[in-house]
Formats: sequence, structure tokens, C-alpha cells
Amino acid sequence: MDERCHDLLVELDRFLDGECPKRVEHALREHLQECEPCFDRTDFEQHVRALVAEHCREDRAPHRLVAQILTRLQVNAS
Amino acid sequence: MASEVESAAPPGGDVVRQQLTDEERRERFVEDAVPYLDQLYSAALRYTRNPSDAEDLLQETFAKAFDKFHQFRPGTNLKAWLYRILTNTYINTYRKEQRRPDEVSSDAYEDFSLYDRIPSTTSASAESKVLERLTDEEVKQALADLPDQFRMAVYLADVEGFSYAEIAEIMGTPIGTVMSRLHRGRSGLQKALYDFARQRGLVDHETPADEEGTT
Repeated sequence: MDERCHDLLVELDRFLDGECPKRVEHALREHLQECEPCFDRTDFEQHVRALVAEHCREDRAPHRLVAQILTRLQVNAS
Repeated sequence: MASEVESAAPPGGDVVRQQLTDEERRERFVEDAVPYLDQLYSAALRYTRNPSDAEDLLQETFAKAFDKFHQFRPGTNLKAWLYRILTNTYINTYRKEQRRPDEVSSDAYEDFSLYDRIPSTTSASAESKVLERLTDEEVKQALADLPDQFRMAVYLADVEGFSYAEIAEIMGTPIGTVMSRLHRGRSGLQKALYDFARQRGLVDHETPADEEGTT
């Protein structure tokens, strides 16, 4: 593992969360193109985040609940 | 600074808001805030981990948000504002009732990497194959088992895509705390996923990094 692999590990969370300064992000992207182990690890971590996003969001609130909330808003305003 | 921001705002911001009639304010709220209802329900369900509490939490959140809507500054982040009310309401009401110890044993989550536990010798994408075979229930359960502060941070980042700064505002903590909660929360989540994968034989019991005493 060279220094740039170490940099990637340190910055991995920020990088995947889109919170790296542009200059750092650019350097990491360059490194990912030439380092397969780092690419695989980054890809995997991205995959885990996507898995959480995919499985942990409910599509819709129950209709009855939406109706109750809207009704309450009407009552409060009158 | 604040007055500069206000004077730079387009004409008809706060001034108009204060002149709204109750009916106009209600219409504005329904138009602007109600579209977030489904998303907020999803968050409420992950926060409380049960549909009945999630419904109560959402009702309360919308009642509070409507009461405070005159305080909301048009042009700022309404979605984050609503999530902050949801999060505060959850922390102040439901968490107190549960009396769960908060940050207990969170050190156990430090730096667990699922990637390092899966042997990649068989094929290049062995790690991703394990992820693909995890069930909907297992992923939901892994998130649900995290302590509140970690679960909320991971949800806000990974499901809602909020930035660190937004999560810091929603949770009322410094950005450094957000990053630490995210890191530990994701480690804990990966540990739970690893345990599920092992129980179902998706991962060998003896893997390279799996030496007792190293965690």
C-alpha cells in the first residue's frame, strides 16, 4: 500500500459523501483509475450506501395518516 | 451579517410572509411542506422503528411545523427545517420514553469493515455478490439495531443524501460529531450485515481478517 492508497482510506468517507475539496477529489479519482484494490474497496463502500438507500426508504405514508394531517391543518386554520 | 442577508433577499420575502392571512399561510404550508410528507414518514419509521409511533411522530411534527411556519425564512432549506423539527421531536419525546442508554458500547463499532471480512479470492466481485444476497429485512434490521444517534445520522446521509452541514444543523451537533457518528454508524451497520451473512453461510466462518480479539 503506497501513500496514495493511504490517502484514499483516510478520505474515503468524505470522498463518497461528496464532501472532499475539489482538488482532493480530483487526486483521488486519478488514483482510483490506476489502483484496482482501491477501486474495488471504494466501489464496495458505495454499494453498501446504495443498499441502505434502496432498502430503508418507504415509498408512501399511509393514506389515512395523510388525510388526518391534512384535516388537522384545515381545522387549525379555521 | 443577518441584515445584509435580509436586504439582499428578493423583494417580498419575509415582509409578505408576515402579511399573509391565516388562510394564505395554510395554503402556502400545504403547498410547500406537504410534498415532504412521504419522505418524512419514511424517516419517522426508521427513527421510531414501529408504524404506530411513526404516525404519532409525523402528526406531531406537522403540527409543530405549521405552528412555527411563520418563523421559517423563505428561500432557506425547507426540507432540512422540517427534518430538524422531526428529529428534535423524536429526541425529546420518544427517546426519553424508551430510556435507552445512548452512546453505550458504540466503541465496539469502531472501524469494522465488511469488505475486509469477505475473502476476494474466489472472484473479483465476491464482495458485491454477498451484498446482493442480503435481504430487505436484513438491511432494515441492521439499520434498526444501531443506537439512535448513529441510526439517524446514517439515515440522513445515505437515504436522504443530506450534506454534513445539513445533518449538523438537523441534529444540532458540530460537523465533526456528524462525521464520527456516520463512520461508527456505518461500521456498526456493516458488522450487523456481516453477522447476517455469516448466519446464512454467505460468508465462510473463517475469513482472513476474522481473528478473535482483533475488533
